[in-house]
Amino acid sequence: MGIEWTDFVTALEQTLTMVGFSLCFSAIIGLPLGMALVVTRKGHILENALVFNVLSTIVNIIRSVPFIILVIAIIPFTRLIVGTSIGTSAAIVPMVLSAAPYISRLVENAVLEVDTGVIEAAQAMGATEWQIIVRFLLPEALPALVLGLTIATIGLVGESAMAGTVGGGGIGDLAITYGYEQYDYHVMFVTVVILILLVQFIQTLGNLISRRIRRR
Amino acid sequence: MITFENVTKTYHNGKQIVHALNGIDLTIERGEIFGVVGFSGAGKSSLLRCVNLLERPTTGRVLVEGQDITQFSKAELRQHRRRVGMVFQHFNLLNSKTVFANVAEPLVIAKVPNAEIRKRVMELLEFVGLADKANHYPDQLSGGQKQRVGIARALATRPSILLCDEATSALDPQTTSAILSLLKTINREYRITILLVTHEMSVIREICDKVAVMERGKVIESGSVFDVFSNPQSDITKNFVNSVMHTKIPESVQRLLSEPEGGNRRVYQLVFVGASATQPVLFQAAKKFNLDINILFGNITELQGVPFGHLLVEFRGPEREINRALTYVREAQVDIQEAVGYGH
Repeated sequence: MGIEWTDFVTALEQTLTMVGFSLCFSAIIGLPLGMALVVTRKGHILENALVFNVLSTIVNIIRSVPFIILVIAIIPFTRLIVGTSIGTSAAIVPMVLSAAPYISRLVENAVLEVDTGVIEAAQAMGATEWQIIVRFLLPEALPALVLGLTIATIGLVGESAMAGTVGGGGIGDLAITYGYEQYDYHVMFVTVVILILLVQFIQTLGNLISRRIRRR
Repeated sequence: MITFENVTKTYHNGKQIVHALNGIDLTIERGEIFGVVGFSGAGKSSLLRCVNLLERPTTGRVLVEGQDITQFSKAELRQHRRRVGMVFQHFNLLNSKTVFANVAEPLVIAKVPNAEIRKRVMELLEFVGLADKANHYPDQLSGGQKQRVGIARALATRPSILLCDEATSALDPQTTSAILSLLKTINREYRITILLVTHEMSVIREICDKVAVMERGKVIESGSVFDVFSNPQSDITKNFVNSVMHTKIPESVQRLLSEPEGGNRRVYQLVFVGASATQPVLFQAAKKFNLDINILFGNITELQGVPFGHLLVEFRGPEREINRALTYVREAQVDIQEAVGYGH
């Protein structure tokens, strides 16, 4: 029972597919969610205790469910969304669901770092709330946002390993099936090296982009 | 014209109720540079922020050109804010954008056409002397340059009022006076009303026409800079004036005075305005009467273009001669008072 190099290539493709798609979708959800967590808080431009508390609670609830349990628990929902509960695309659903609230917290942190004086300046020049968000908060928080998304991406690489549970495949799955369950240490070693390189690559890229934005 | 009518601002700090503004009545005429001075926590920043409603008064009205801005709708308030520029202590520039983009921002927000923005921004950068820095980022600039960008940005929408919140407090003395003279130019050339708050009396002396002294949410003294400086009423105002006028007698002079000496002598303090009168009067008095006049200490500053100062003089001679000299000096309309505790 052998394993070919092409298996690694396929697995890497699966990992990149899962991470890429779930990053996109969870960022699309997490970004506005995180921004909402900032602007609806007390004393901020769209202060709204109800919205803030509801959103914050939902985020906390989802974030407290262990990923592997989330994967199983939402199978019916996954089937509803992608039509199947097995495979790479089925793995993306729980990954998005778990990463979106996480990203929202990272976004929240990044945006809160923006100097309140900048918001004051924006208000003083007659900016609308929407303009403050889009023209002031977002660009000022961008370098930190990129670093936050880098962290989230690496987290997703880790989660993709557990996606094997629903037949998502990927590098991590390879490591678990061949290395952990069948004691094939060569496969385990190669997969771990690939994962290290991948994480290293993502972090370096993230740092680079963030620095570019900061020092344009 | 800006009018505060019985403005109060109260907020809760935990269980404590803080009266940031405690019944402010104040009028700022069009075209003047009005300074508000006070220690930190006196409420001056709150006062300033009531003019563009970055802080909303708890009670009272704020009238700008006769309109009660506290009654404005959100859209009206945004329009109003475009007519009121604001400059901040810590500049509050966007670090992610170039100098050009920072100055352009208020115009972009107001949806001004691009070609017009370009023209206006370059004109402003030219005016503040930073045309060559248009493509730089704020972190490549010095503090003074950043404040120039802040000022250019505040002027972008051609406001009629400029609010300066401790605009020079983060700058060194040299840069401060450059920025102050820029503000003065703006006031004179564009006829923009400037309301500034500061804790530095030197800023008031340098450029303001009128001044209000604040303490604990109240205006305790206000008037023309000249009147307040030459005749401060409250202790706080006196302290502030002292901080720049040095009317306090230096210790070395005090030591000199406390030394017992033969003969009758008295020490007087003279306040004089517009150098002309005083000195001839003193010399005349010395000639006319049988006494020696000795100038111990003096200080002259310029207030709104007029020399203004203090002199500490010693009269030596028989009591009768001293009194005659005093009457003579007083008749010449010079403010002369005995400096308490120095006579023998």
